[in-house]
Amino acid sequence: MSKVIIKNLSYQYPLGDENALEDISLKINKGDFLGIVGPNKAGKSTLCKSLVGLVPHFYNGDFSGEILIDDLNTKNHSISQISLKVGLVFQNPFNQISGAKLTVYDEVAFGLENIGLPREKMIERIDYYLKLMDIYDQRASNPFEISGGQMQRLAIASIMAREPDVFVLDEPTSQLDPQGSKEVFNAIHKLSQKDLTVIIVSQKMERLAKYTDNILLLNQGRVIDYDKKEKIFARDDLEELGVRPPIYTEIARKMNLKNDKSYYPINRKKLTDLVVKKYGQNFSK
Amino acid sequence: MRSISLYVDKDSLIHKIDPITKLIYTFVSVISPFIIPTILVSSIFVAVNMIILTLGKVFKKVIPIISFVFFIIITIFIIQGMFYGGNSTELFSVFSLTFYVEGLFYALRIALRAINILLTFSIIILTVKPSILIESLVRRGLPPKLGYVMHSVLQIIPMMSSTANTIMDAQKSRGMETEGNLWIRMKAFIPLIGPLVMNSLVSTHERSIALEVRSFSAKTQKTFLNEEKIPAAMKYLRLVIILIFIAIVVWRVVL
Repeated sequence: MSKVIIKNLSYQYPLGDENALEDISLKINKGDFLGIVGPNKAGKSTLCKSLVGLVPHFYNGDFSGEILIDDLNTKNHSISQISLKVGLVFQNPFNQISGAKLTVYDEVAFGLENIGLPREKMIERIDYYLKLMDIYDQRASNPFEISGGQMQRLAIASIMAREPDVFVLDEPTSQLDPQGSKEVFNAIHKLSQKDLTVIIVSQKMERLAKYTDNILLLNQGRVIDYDKKEKIFARDDLEELGVRPPIYTEIARKMNLKNDKSYYPINRKKLTDLVVKKYGQNFSK
Repeated sequence: MRSISLYVDKDSLIHKIDPITKLIYTFVSVISPFIIPTILVSSIFVAVNMIILTLGKVFKKVIPIISFVFFIIITIFIIQGMFYGGNSTELFSVFSLTFYVEGLFYALRIALRAINILLTFSIIILTVKPSILIESLVRRGLPPKLGYVMHSVLQIIPMMSSTANTIMDAQKSRGMETEGNLWIRMKAFIPLIGPLVMNSLVSTHERSIALEVRSFSAKTQKTFLNEEKIPAAMKYLRLVIILIFIAIVVWRVVL
């Protein structure tokens, strides 16, 4: 379990006209489940890439500031070293498949072979994470022949199996149906219960509202807000900033239903409770 | 989307032999007829290879390959039979073309060597899974990056062909003609190749990142999911093959 500290991070891609990230400073506590939201070009993916050291080691460009994963400064360590502590799952699972292995089972093993994990432990972990992500039945299939959703589950399992301290996921459920998305979030949540810091970019606000502790709101590479999810989703300017609040929050806003702390409810249960409180038991029926 | 390997999955004694033993055999089988350039040695290796392929239940797969080179072999017999430098003993004449014993024997030697090489490589190609062969080599010091390149070729080419089909379908759905005479096909090729190359470049870039975040370049000693169990019998088999090779070299030096 690691603490992440970002200090004055700014970054511009080599061919970029403006900074993709602009003076970002924040601290993510050990064991936090953080959601990152923001419109296109907000810098969400770039921030994810920075956390694992791809920025600045893989992408060149102007980088300033620092990211500390515990005592490890990402600027001074190689991606291979950082990736032992930080796992990153990309948006596009197709490109996360190594291309070096012919079965789903071997594909998960790829990242474990590279870090020299003993064979017995490898098998234990592969079995566990394939089952957790519900693709154990596909273990003998070719990684490129499974569906997009299964590929996304495989990509997540491949990184999870490395058991990093910090788990960064960039839109990990973009190709999953609502049920699949729910299952993946449940699996990630289950892992977050045991010593894992999770940082997730997602457009699925209802899921973020359910599972995360805090939300980081980005816009044009800048931190607009970083706080408890209830506080972020209660912002009146959220839609102006290109972020759709959870549906329950939208309904509550239209009905002007706020809780004792003057926040709109962010999930169905809290909304129902407020409705019942205001309109009485019969309303819920 | 399948891997482009020619491996034939059969349950045979030959399939059970480990890739390194087969590689050693390949080396010995290909080189030996050159060390002792007699028809007898080449014939022995051809016969042994045929027996191995039959035991491996893959002999049928070799017939088309041999048929393919048959035309070239016939040409060698005609040319060498008539024009070989050492020709002196006439064998027969067809119209005004005379064939000589020395030329035909020389052609037979070349043909047997060529067939021997084909059969030997067929053994390794048809009875060894490429992934296992590459892994065996990486275990013995082949740089993992080179191993990855060899490995990915088997996967990436079918993947590119699948992407090409998707792009072609997309172009067709927008009304582009892709079937017809040569000129139409050539015109259809241009809008295909641009997106295909761009797509492949982007994918390669992202895949290289994916490899990095899974510690592909890590300096740690790699481990392997698949256990490599080499039975004692294989060690003896390797020893026998190496001894045969040494005997062949000694034979050449002494005689």
